[in-house]
Amino acid sequence: MKIWLALLALAAPAAAFAAENVTLSSEVFVERVKPGADGKPAVVREAPKIVTPGDKLVFELSYRNQGAQPATGFALTDPIPDSVAFAGSASPGATFSVDGGRTWGPLASLKVVKADGTSRPALPSDVTHVRWAFGQAIPAGASGKVSFRGVVK
Amino acid sequence: MGYQARSAKSSAFAKNALLAAVSAASAGMAAPAHAAGTLAGTNITNVATATYDLPNGTPTSVDSNTVTLKVDELLDVTVAWRDPADVVSAPGLAGQVLSFTVTNAGNGPESYTLGTIANGGGDDFDPTVTALFLDSNANGAFDAGVDTAYVPGVNDPQLAPDGSATVFVLSTIPLLAADGNRGKVDLTAVARTGSGTPGTSFAGQGEGGGNAVVGATGAKAQDDGWYAVRKASLSFVKSATVADPFGGTTQGPGAVITYTLTATVSGNGSLANVKVSDAVPAGTTYQAGSLTLDAASLTDAADSDAGSFDGTAVSVGLGSVAAGTTKIVKFKVKID
Repeated sequence: MKIWLALLALAAPAAAFAAENVTLSSEVFVERVKPGADGKPAVVREAPKIVTPGDKLVFELSYRNQGAQPATGFALTDPIPDSVAFAGSASPGATFSVDGGRTWGPLASLKVVKADGTSRPALPSDVTHVRWAFGQAIPAGASGKVSFRGVVK
Repeated sequence: MGYQARSAKSSAFAKNALLAAVSAASAGMAAPAHAAGTLAGTNITNVATATYDLPNGTPTSVDSNTVTLKVDELLDVTVAWRDPADVVSAPGLAGQVLSFTVTNAGNGPESYTLGTIANGGGDDFDPTVTALFLDSNANGAFDAGVDTAYVPGVNDPQLAPDGSATVFVLSTIPLLAADGNRGKVDLTAVARTGSGTPGTSFAGQGEGGGNAVVGATGAKAQDDGWYAVRKASLSFVKSATVADPFGGTTQGPGAVITYTLTATVSGNGSLANVKVSDAVPAGTTYQAGSLTLDAASLTDAADSDAGSFDGTAVSVGLGSVAAGTTKIVKFKVKID
């Protein structure tokens, strides 16, 4: 992590100060249903060694405030990757965009304009971005995780 | 939520949103409606961004690491018999054509080894498969001399995702097949990269350098194609009635015998070149002009009508007779 931070500092000196305060890492897992120890099917998370259409992915974001001061106005934004459909499940507090990040809101409040000009309620698969806006500052030294689920199209 | 206005002003966030908008637009254009989903070799890339305020109040942002997943190749195939109904044939006929469609149900280009199973049971006879042909001119119909004979390992059809090919199976129907019998041939297709239990993976053998993974079909498929035999058969019955010159039925000189030849074609289909002939018995004389077919008179000369008398025998050509038809030929002789 230190090397990564150093590289980031070299590549983008202007961001170095910020990087010293908050770090953000992203991980992706595949969720599969496999027989558990008791023989019953159980959901297990695996490293994404094999990924094919239809696989369920979990995107997990881990943040840490490494600075000496609280981080205020803290928000995490993750564009849903191409070839992935948002699966309707995200950590509490998420808001969504279905128009590339221009407008945001709870999914139930969003609409998609159809080709004929009329609009319909947005579906999970319409989501282009997911965001968590934290109402409270992240204290110095604090960390946390949020996640959302997607399906490989 | 006051920070939203601040982060919207952040150049880093604005850039991020712009990039996102561009990528969303390209996704909309590029999203091909592949039944098998995202094409093998496609990268799924995820980067998240944290935005927050520096202690001096300046909004700033930091990107996460980039996670890149390569979509692996699913190996899937379907085979479907495409003739609308049983292919009607007859015993002994060669080059009888069944048509099949082989479809790549996976998400990467794949070649398939084709084969046939003619002795799978569940039918009345086993056709003899003589050749497989690929529909070279893609017109859906077998064209002898145009379509290419299939040679396993040499011209295995390579199909794009969702792509399909028409394959023809040519068979000979066994001579012993009876009317109404049905016989089937299965066309089989197996992904060349590998097949087996769904989930079996072949490291590094997928499109774009990823893995290849056997999908739900097991990467092999087959379907039955059916032949139905239509066979007609001929039964022939001869009967006679006698009329003596005195109104009785005594067989003696001067009595007239009326022969009735009944030809019945049963089964299915038709019989070609059916000909009824009967020699006039010794000691009798054919009665000129007495030959009839289904009660219609025929001339004795070998001419445009179907019947003739050549001096020793009568003959009636019936041509092609459909199953379910009965033809009645009558002629008269007088006992010498």
